[in-house]
Amino acid sequence: MHVYIYDDYLNKSKYHKIINRLEIRLTDLGLNGKIIRLEGIKNIKNAIQNEIKLGAKTIIAVGNNQTVNKIIGAIIDTDLYGDFQKKTLLGIIPVGDDNSIAASFGIKNGEEACNILLARRIEKIDLGLVGNHYFLNQASIQSLGTILEINDYSLEITEKGEIKIINLLNDKDINIRSNPHDGLLDIYIKTKRKDQTYLTAQKLKITNHTEKLVIDGVLEIATPTEVGIIRDRVNIIVGKERMFE
Amino acid sequence: MFSKDAKLEKFKDAETVIGSSIKVKGNFQGQGNIIIEGSLEGSVKTDASIYIGNQAKIVANTESKDVIVNGEVRGNIKAKNYLAIGGTAKIFGDLQYGEISIEKGAVINGQLLMLSDDHKRQEKTKTIAEEKENMIEK
Repeated sequence: MHVYIYDDYLNKSKYHKIINRLEIRLTDLGLNGKIIRLEGIKNIKNAIQNEIKLGAKTIIAVGNNQTVNKIIGAIIDTDLYGDFQKKTLLGIIPVGDDNSIAASFGIKNGEEACNILLARRIEKIDLGLVGNHYFLNQASIQSLGTILEINDYSLEITEKGEIKIINLLNDKDINIRSNPHDGLLDIYIKTKRKDQTYLTAQKLKITNHTEKLVIDGVLEIATPTEVGIIRDRVNIIVGKERMFE
Repeated sequence: MFSKDAKLEKFKDAETVIGSSIKVKGNFQGQGNIIIEGSLEGSVKTDASIYIGNQAKIVANTESKDVIVNGEVRGNIKAKNYLAIGGTAKIFGDLQYGEISIEKGAVINGQLLMLSDDHKRQEKTKTIAEEKENMIEK
Protein backbone atom coordinates (compact mmCIF):
# COMPACT_ATOMS: atom_id res chain seq x y z
CA MET A 1 0.00 0.00 0.00
CA HIS A 2 1.23 3.51 -0.87
CA VAL A 3 0.74 6.34 1.60
CA TYR A 4 1.26 9.88 0.32
CA ILE A 5 2.11 12.53 2.91
CA TYR A 6 1.21 16.01 1.61
CA ASP A 7 2.96 18.94 3.31
CA ASP A 8 0.98 21.92 4.69
CA TYR A 9 2.02 24.39 2.03
CA LEU A 10 0.48 22.33 -0.77
CA ASN A 11 -2.99 23.60 0.19
CA LYS A 12 -2.11 26.96 -1.40
CA SER A 13 -4.08 27.54 -4.58
CA LYS A 14 -0.96 27.83 -6.74
CA TYR A 15 -0.23 24.15 -6.13
CA HIS A 16 -3.75 22.82 -6.82
CA LYS A 17 -3.17 22.33 -10.52
CA ILE A 18 0.17 20.57 -9.97
CA ILE A 19 -1.33 18.26 -7.35
CA ASN A 20 -4.31 17.42 -9.58
CA ARG A 21 -1.98 16.55 -12.43
CA LEU A 22 0.16 14.38 -10.15
CA GLU A 23 -2.85 12.51 -8.78
CA ILE A 24 -4.10 11.76 -12.30
CA ARG A 25 -0.65 10.51 -13.31
CA LEU A 26 -0.36 8.30 -10.21
CA THR A 27 -3.80 6.81 -10.87
CA ASP A 28 -2.86 6.14 -14.51
CA LEU A 29 0.24 4.29 -13.33
CA GLY A 30 -1.74 2.28 -10.76
CA LEU A 31 0.16 3.92 -7.90
CA ASN A 32 -2.77 5.56 -6.15
CA GLY A 33 -2.98 5.18 -2.39
CA LYS A 34 -3.97 6.84 0.82
CA ILE A 35 -3.36 10.58 1.20
CA ILE A 36 -2.47 12.16 4.53
CA ARG A 37 -2.34 15.96 4.70
CA LEU A 38 0.02 17.30 7.35
CA GLU A 39 -2.05 20.42 7.96
CA GLY A 40 -3.97 19.89 11.13
CA ILE A 41 -1.93 16.85 12.21
CA LYS A 42 -0.21 17.59 15.49
CA ASN A 43 1.64 14.32 15.90
CA ILE A 44 3.17 13.38 12.57
CA LYS A 45 5.10 10.56 14.17
CA ASN A 46 1.96 8.81 15.39
CA ALA A 47 0.17 9.29 12.09
CA ILE A 48 3.02 7.65 10.16
CA GLN A 49 3.50 4.89 12.71
CA ASN A 50 -0.17 4.01 12.40
CA GLU A 51 0.15 3.71 8.65
CA ILE A 52 3.13 1.40 9.01
CA LYS A 53 1.15 -0.72 11.49
CA LEU A 54 -1.68 -0.87 8.98
CA GLY A 55 0.72 -2.26 6.38
CA ALA A 56 2.03 0.73 4.41
CA LYS A 57 4.74 -0.58 2.05
CA THR A 58 5.81 2.82 0.71
CA ILE A 59 5.64 6.20 2.44
CA ILE A 60 5.89 9.01 -0.09
CA ALA A 61 6.84 12.54 0.92
CA VAL A 62 5.03 15.04 -1.33
CA GLY A 63 6.63 18.44 -0.81
CA ASN A 64 10.19 19.66 -0.25
CA ASN A 65 13.29 19.03 1.91
CA GLN A 66 11.37 19.97 5.03
CA THR A 67 8.67 17.40 4.26
CA VAL A 68 11.27 14.66 3.81
CA ASN A 69 12.95 15.63 7.07
CA LYS A 70 9.67 15.57 8.98
CA ILE A 71 8.93 12.10 7.67
CA ILE A 72 12.43 10.69 8.18
CA GLY A 73 12.35 12.00 11.74
CA ALA A 74 8.96 10.43 12.33
CA ILE A 75 9.91 7.08 10.90
CA ILE A 76 13.37 6.62 12.36
CA ASP A 77 12.61 7.75 15.87
CA THR A 78 10.26 4.86 16.51
CA ASP A 79 10.07 1.40 17.98
CA LEU A 80 8.73 0.30 14.63
CA TYR A 81 12.04 1.07 13.01
CA GLY A 82 12.80 -2.61 12.41
CA ASP A 83 9.56 -3.02 10.48
CA PHE A 84 10.25 0.11 8.50
CA GLN A 85 13.67 -1.06 7.52
CA LYS A 86 12.41 -4.43 6.34
CA LYS A 87 9.16 -3.52 4.72
CA THR A 88 8.56 0.15 4.18
CA LEU A 89 10.28 2.30 1.55
CA LEU A 90 10.54 6.05 1.35
CA GLY A 91 9.63 7.79 -1.91
CA ILE A 92 9.75 11.50 -2.74
CA ILE A 93 7.60 13.65 -5.01
CA PRO A 94 9.12 17.14 -5.15
CA VAL A 95 6.73 20.09 -5.44
CA GLY A 96 7.91 23.72 -5.43
CA ASP A 97 11.30 25.02 -4.26
CA ASP A 98 13.91 23.67 -1.78
CA ASN A 99 14.07 20.21 -3.22
CA SER A 100 17.79 19.48 -3.08
CA ILE A 101 17.20 16.09 -1.43
CA ALA A 102 15.02 14.92 -4.33
CA ALA A 103 17.60 16.31 -6.78
CA SER A 104 20.32 14.23 -5.10
CA PHE A 105 18.22 11.14 -5.73
CA GLY A 106 17.82 12.08 -9.39
CA ILE A 107 14.19 13.18 -8.99
CA LYS A 108 13.87 16.46 -10.89
CA ASN A 109 10.11 17.06 -10.91
CA GLY A 110 6.77 15.61 -9.92
CA GLU A 111 6.03 13.83 -13.16
CA GLU A 112 9.44 12.17 -13.22
CA ALA A 113 8.92 11.22 -9.57
CA CYS A 114 5.82 9.21 -10.55
CA ASN A 115 7.82 7.21 -13.12
CA ILE A 116 10.59 6.66 -10.58
CA LEU A 117 8.05 5.35 -8.04
CA LEU A 118 6.83 2.91 -10.67
CA ALA A 119 10.38 1.74 -11.54
CA ARG A 120 11.05 1.17 -7.81
CA ARG A 121 14.84 1.38 -7.91
CA ILE A 122 15.87 1.05 -4.27
CA GLU A 123 19.03 2.26 -2.51
CA LYS A 124 20.02 1.94 1.13
CA ILE A 125 21.25 5.33 2.29
CA ASP A 126 23.25 6.50 5.31
CA LEU A 127 21.66 9.08 7.56
CA GLY A 128 23.52 11.98 9.15
CA LEU A 129 22.76 12.63 12.79
CA VAL A 130 23.02 15.87 14.80
CA GLY A 131 21.81 15.36 18.36
CA ASN A 132 18.37 13.78 17.88
CA HIS A 133 17.91 15.18 14.37
CA TYR A 134 18.54 13.22 11.20
CA PHE A 135 19.63 14.62 7.86
CA LEU A 136 19.92 13.22 4.38
CA ASN A 137 21.82 15.93 2.49
CA GLN A 138 24.06 18.04 4.66
CA ALA A 139 24.62 20.22 7.69
CA SER A 140 26.30 23.58 7.08
CA ILE A 141 27.79 26.42 9.13
CA GLN A 142 29.80 29.59 8.50
CA SER A 143 33.50 28.79 8.50
CA LEU A 144 35.10 31.76 10.28
CA GLY A 145 35.55 30.99 13.96
CA THR A 146 34.40 27.40 13.62
CA ILE A 147 36.43 24.62 15.19
CA LEU A 148 35.98 21.02 14.07
CA GLU A 149 37.25 18.28 16.37
CA ILE A 150 37.83 14.91 14.73
CA ASN A 151 39.52 11.96 16.48
CA ASP A 152 42.91 13.23 17.75
CA TYR A 153 43.02 16.51 15.88
CA SER A 154 41.15 19.77 15.38
CA LEU A 155 40.63 22.11 12.44
CA GLU A 156 40.31 25.86 12.84
CA ILE A 157 39.18 27.94 9.88
CA THR A 158 40.58 31.45 9.64
CA GLU A 159 38.61 32.82 6.67
CA LYS A 160 34.97 33.59 5.90
CA GLY A 161 33.22 30.89 3.93
CA GLU A 162 31.11 27.82 4.48
CA ILE A 163 31.61 24.37 5.95
CA LYS A 164 29.41 21.59 4.62
CA ILE A 165 29.13 18.24 6.37
CA ILE A 166 27.79 16.12 3.53
CA ASN A 167 26.04 12.79 3.63
CA LEU A 168 24.40 13.02 0.23
CA LEU A 169 25.81 15.46 -2.32
CA ASN A 170 23.29 17.85 -3.90
CA ASP A 171 25.62 20.29 -5.66
CA LYS A 172 27.25 19.23 -8.92
CA ASP A 173 29.75 22.09 -8.61
CA ILE A 174 31.37 20.45 -5.59
CA ASN A 175 33.96 18.19 -7.11
CA ILE A 176 34.26 15.46 -4.51
CA ARG A 177 33.51 11.75 -4.54
CA SER A 178 30.70 11.59 -2.03
CA ASN A 179 29.15 8.25 -1.28
CA PRO A 180 26.02 7.92 0.90
CA HIS A 181 26.71 4.21 1.47
CA ASP A 182 30.22 4.40 2.94
CA GLY A 183 29.37 5.25 6.55
CA LEU A 184 31.45 8.44 6.27
CA LEU A 185 30.62 12.14 6.33
CA ASP A 186 32.38 14.29 3.75
CA ILE A 187 33.62 17.56 5.19
CA TYR A 188 33.92 20.25 2.53
CA ILE A 189 35.14 23.76 3.34
CA LYS A 190 35.23 26.59 0.83
CA THR A 191 36.46 30.00 1.92
CA LYS A 192 36.56 33.43 0.29
CA ARG A 193 40.25 32.87 -0.34
CA LYS A 194 38.90 30.35 -2.89
CA ASP A 195 40.81 27.48 -1.37
CA GLN A 196 39.03 24.22 -0.75
CA THR A 197 39.40 21.67 1.98
CA TYR A 198 38.08 18.16 1.86
CA LEU A 199 38.28 15.25 4.28
CA THR A 200 36.11 12.48 5.67
CA ALA A 201 35.11 11.49 9.19
CA GLN A 202 32.70 9.17 10.98
CA LYS A 203 31.95 11.72 13.64
CA LEU A 204 33.02 15.19 14.66
CA LYS A 205 32.30 17.95 17.12
CA ILE A 206 31.49 21.43 15.82
CA THR A 207 31.94 24.60 17.85
CA ASN A 208 31.12 28.17 16.82
CA HIS A 209 30.08 30.65 19.49
CA THR A 210 28.16 32.96 17.15
CA GLU A 211 26.86 30.89 14.24
CA LYS A 212 24.40 27.98 14.17
CA LEU A 213 24.58 24.71 12.30
CA VAL A 214 21.82 24.38 9.68
CA ILE A 215 20.52 20.93 8.80
CA ASP A 216 19.33 20.37 5.21
CA GLY A 217 18.70 24.10 4.97
CA VAL A 218 15.78 23.76 7.37
CA LEU A 219 16.65 23.38 11.03
CA GLU A 220 19.09 25.53 13.04
CA ILE A 221 21.06 23.96 15.87
CA ALA A 222 23.31 25.76 18.36
CA THR A 223 26.86 24.54 18.86
CA PRO A 224 28.89 22.88 20.34
CA THR A 225 27.25 19.81 18.90
CA GLU A 226 28.26 16.40 17.63
CA VAL A 227 27.60 15.18 14.11
CA GLY A 228 27.63 11.50 13.27
CA ILE A 229 26.39 9.03 10.68
CA ILE A 230 24.34 5.86 10.73
CA ARG A 231 25.15 3.48 7.93
CA ASP A 232 22.52 2.23 5.45
CA ARG A 233 19.71 3.40 7.68
CA VAL A 234 16.92 4.07 5.24
CA ASN A 235 15.62 2.48 2.01
CA ILE A 236 14.78 5.07 -0.61
CA ILE A 237 13.31 4.88 -4.10
CA VAL A 238 15.77 6.71 -6.36
CA GLY A 239 16.07 7.77 -9.99
CA LYS A 240 18.60 6.71 -12.59
CA GLU A 241 20.16 10.20 -12.61
CA ARG A 242 21.03 10.20 -8.91
CA MET A 243 24.21 12.01 -7.85
CA PHE A 244 25.96 8.92 -6.48
CA GLU A 245 26.74 5.34 -7.45
CA MET B 1 64.72 14.04 -11.10
CA PHE B 2 62.02 16.17 -9.46
CA SER B 3 59.02 16.25 -11.74
CA LYS B 4 56.34 18.38 -10.14
CA ASP B 5 53.67 17.80 -12.78
CA ALA B 6 54.14 14.03 -12.85
CA LYS B 7 54.00 13.88 -9.08
CA LEU B 8 50.96 16.14 -8.85
CA GLU B 9 49.05 13.87 -11.23
CA LYS B 10 48.66 11.21 -8.52
CA PHE B 11 47.22 13.82 -6.15
CA LYS B 12 44.44 14.74 -8.59
CA ASP B 13 42.08 12.45 -6.67
CA ALA B 14 43.56 13.03 -3.20
CA GLU B 15 41.34 11.72 -0.40
CA THR B 16 42.24 14.62 1.91
CA VAL B 17 42.94 18.26 1.08
CA ILE B 18 43.81 20.84 3.74
CA GLY B 19 43.35 24.34 2.24
CA SER B 20 45.50 27.39 2.95
CA SER B 21 43.03 28.94 5.44
CA ILE B 22 42.94 25.88 7.70
CA LYS B 23 44.96 25.31 10.87
CA VAL B 24 45.20 21.68 11.94
CA LYS B 25 46.34 20.80 15.45
CA GLY B 26 46.94 17.28 16.72
CA ASN B 27 47.76 13.89 15.31
CA PHE B 28 46.42 13.89 11.80
CA GLN B 29 46.11 10.42 10.39
CA GLY B 30 44.67 10.50 6.90
CA GLN B 31 43.59 7.78 4.52
CA GLY B 32 44.97 7.78 1.02
CA ASN B 33 46.82 10.72 -0.50
CA ILE B 34 46.94 13.98 1.45
CA ILE B 35 47.50 17.50 0.14
CA ILE B 36 48.43 20.14 2.72
CA GLU B 37 48.34 23.83 1.74
CA GLY B 38 47.53 25.20 5.22
CA SER B 39 49.25 24.89 8.58
CA LEU B 40 49.59 21.81 10.74
CA GLU B 41 50.96 21.29 14.24
CA GLY B 42 51.42 17.84 15.74
CA SER B 43 52.02 14.87 13.47
CA VAL B 44 50.83 13.68 10.08
CA LYS B 45 50.79 10.13 8.83
CA THR B 46 49.35 8.10 5.96
CA ASP B 47 50.11 4.86 4.14
CA ALA B 48 49.96 6.65 0.79
CA SER B 49 51.50 9.99 -0.24
CA ILE B 50 51.71 13.49 1.21
CA TYR B 51 52.06 16.67 -0.83
CA ILE B 52 53.12 19.75 1.13
CA GLY B 53 52.32 22.88 -0.91
CA ASN B 54 54.50 25.99 -1.05
CA GLN B 55 52.21 27.99 1.28
CA ALA B 56 52.05 25.22 3.86
CA LYS B 57 53.64 25.53 7.29
CA ILE B 58 54.11 22.25 9.08
CA VAL B 59 55.37 21.91 12.63
CA ALA B 60 55.12 18.16 12.83
CA ASN B 61 56.75 14.85 12.18
CA THR B 62 55.65 13.52 8.80
CA GLU B 63 55.49 9.88 7.79
CA SER B 64 54.23 8.22 4.62
CA LYS B 65 55.23 6.22 1.57
CA ASP B 66 56.04 9.19 -0.68
CA VAL B 67 56.43 12.82 0.40
CA ILE B 68 56.70 15.89 -1.81
CA VAL B 69 57.75 19.07 -0.01
CA ASN B 70 57.41 22.56 -1.44
CA GLY B 71 56.60 24.45 1.78
CA GLU B 72 58.07 24.89 5.25
CA VAL B 73 58.48 21.88 7.54
CA ARG B 74 59.78 21.98 11.10
CA GLY B 75 60.01 18.37 12.14
CA ASN B 76 61.32 15.05 10.90
CA ILE B 77 60.20 13.52 7.62
CA LYS B 78 60.14 9.80 6.92
CA ALA B 79 59.34 8.81 3.33
CA LYS B 80 59.55 5.03 3.17
CA ASN B 81 59.71 5.10 -0.59
CA TYR B 82 60.43 8.47 -2.21
CA LEU B 83 61.10 11.96 -0.92
CA ALA B 84 60.98 14.86 -3.39
CA ILE B 85 62.08 18.29 -2.21
CA GLY B 86 61.11 21.25 -4.38
CA GLY B 87 63.05 24.49 -4.84
CA THR B 88 60.75 26.46 -2.49
CA ALA B 89 61.02 23.95 0.39
CA LYS B 90 62.45 24.89 3.78
CA ILE B 91 63.04 21.93 6.04
CA PHE B 92 64.30 22.07 9.63
CA GLY B 93 64.51 18.45 10.72
CA ASP B 94 65.97 15.06 9.89
CA LEU B 95 65.02 13.23 6.71
CA GLN B 96 64.71 9.49 6.20
CA TYR B 97 63.96 8.20 2.73
CA GLY B 98 64.20 5.31 0.31
CA GLU B 99 65.06 7.56 -2.62
CA ILE B 100 65.44 11.32 -2.73
CA SER B 101 65.50 14.19 -5.20
CA ILE B 102 66.33 17.78 -4.26
CA GLU B 103 65.64 20.77 -6.48
CA LYS B 104 67.96 23.77 -6.61
CA GLY B 105 67.00 26.44 -4.07
CA ALA B 106 65.72 24.09 -1.36
CA VAL B 107 66.81 24.77 2.24
CA ILE B 108 67.52 21.71 4.39
CA ASN B 109 68.74 21.94 7.95
CA GLY B 110 69.03 18.46 9.37
CA GLN B 111 70.45 15.01 8.83
CA LEU B 112 69.77 12.97 5.74
CA LEU B 113 69.50 9.24 6.24
CA MET B 114 68.79 6.76 3.50
CA LEU B 115 66.70 3.84 4.73
CA SER B 116 68.54 0.53 4.49
CA ASP B 117 67.82 -1.92 1.68
CA ASP B 118 66.41 -4.30 4.30
CA HIS B 119 63.95 -1.63 5.40
CA LYS B 120 63.00 -0.88 1.81
CA ARG B 121 62.63 -4.59 1.05
CA GLN B 122 60.36 -4.97 4.05
CA GLU B 123 58.23 -2.05 2.87
CA LYS B 124 58.14 -3.43 -0.67
CA THR B 125 57.10 -6.89 0.57
CA LYS B 126 54.44 -5.25 2.73
CA THR B 127 53.15 -3.24 -0.24
CA ILE B 128 53.01 -6.30 -2.52
CA ALA B 129 51.21 -8.28 0.20
CA GLU B 130 48.72 -5.43 0.66
CA GLU B 131 48.15 -5.19 -3.09
CA LYS B 132 47.51 -8.95 -3.26
CA GLU B 133 45.12 -8.68 -0.36
CA ASN B 134 43.25 -5.84 -2.11
CA MET B 135 43.03 -7.86 -5.32
CA ILE B 136 41.62 -10.83 -3.44
CA GLU B 137 39.08 -8.56 -1.73
CA LYS B 138 38.03 -7.17 -5.12
